[in-house]
Amino acid sequence: MDSSMWLALASIAIGTYLLRLVPYLWMKRSLAKRQTEDGVGSMPTWLTILGPTMIAAMFGTSLVPAHPDTLSWFATGVGMLATFGVWTRTRSMGLPILCGVVAFGMVTLFLPI
Amino acid sequence: MSTTTQTLAGTPWKQGIKDAIPLLGGYIPVAISFGLISVQSGFSVLETILISTFIYAGASQFLFVAMAASGAPLWLVVIMTLLINARHVVYGPNLSPYLNHDKKWLPLMHGLTDQIFALAHARLPQLPEQARIGWYTGAAVLAWFSWIVGTALGAIAGGELTQRWPLINDVLPFALPALFFVLIVPRCSNPLWSLTIILSAVTALVLKISGYPNIAIPLAAMSGAALFYTLKNQRILGEQ
Repeated sequence: MDSSMWLALASIAIGTYLLRLVPYLWMKRSLAKRQTEDGVGSMPTWLTILGPTMIAAMFGTSLVPAHPDTLSWFATGVGMLATFGVWTRTRSMGLPILCGVVAFGMVTLFLPI
Repeated sequence: MSTTTQTLAGTPWKQGIKDAIPLLGGYIPVAISFGLISVQSGFSVLETILISTFIYAGASQFLFVAMAASGAPLWLVVIMTLLINARHVVYGPNLSPYLNHDKKWLPLMHGLTDQIFALAHARLPQLPEQARIGWYTGAAVLAWFSWIVGTALGAIAGGELTQRWPLINDVLPFALPALFFVLIVPRCSNPLWSLTIILSAVTALVLKISGYPNIAIPLAAMSGAALFYTLKNQRILGEQ
């Protein structure tokens, strides 16, 4: 890489870090200020809504298979059903994910044969 | 989402590592792909590893490599990659009520990716305050290292790896939607939140299928939030 490419890389790295850091610092300061002013430091409501909807959106995009054919969509459906089924029983994280991946893998690997 | 404080069986950072293990199923295959594509685009193995170490943001890394290889103006490369990462501005403020004033949080913000945010947003409220920084460190460092190691593997032997073990590319990435699902499904505790979550997820899915993967997350999240406010103001589906 030449020096201009290194500069671009450094700019992106620093910029990405600041995109993660500065809003956090801003909110931390804002919460502290509100707590001093009225004794209650609470986040704006729109922000508490946007957090879960961002995670729901990540879930939606991650559902799309790398090669979206009928088998992949079917495997995705089976995997999600397995994940949900185990989650309703355990209310945990690890086992539902493991069972979902195994169910998805079984359909992906063995159904075409 | 449950906000009941949980006691930890082991040390907080060990619990963080344990909770972040499902992330590896999504991180390592994508990191291997990135390593492979980066080397094929003309970057050296060391340069490829440094990109993953310091930028540490999947979609923008792929864009950086693709645009740089195509000879696009570097100022445009910088702007486009930062625009893709703009969604990250929501993450830190959402977590800030759960983080104390420890200065160690500042460097740890480098690890605040989509997946770590989703995980931390669900888990931090459940942990005692003194355990949160240890938990986050364990989860974020494991994710970061897996991204770097996966990139190195892809840059050095990506072609051979994916040919010999197609499972890496075909099956393991399903861990990511399964993880997001178990993180978000407890939110669906009433009709208002259930509809909001479903609309956000479906909109994101449709946008990605339609060829808009980079705007899918912010746009879908905003449409979900808009629906939430609309329904809440009508007071027909219950309160938050």
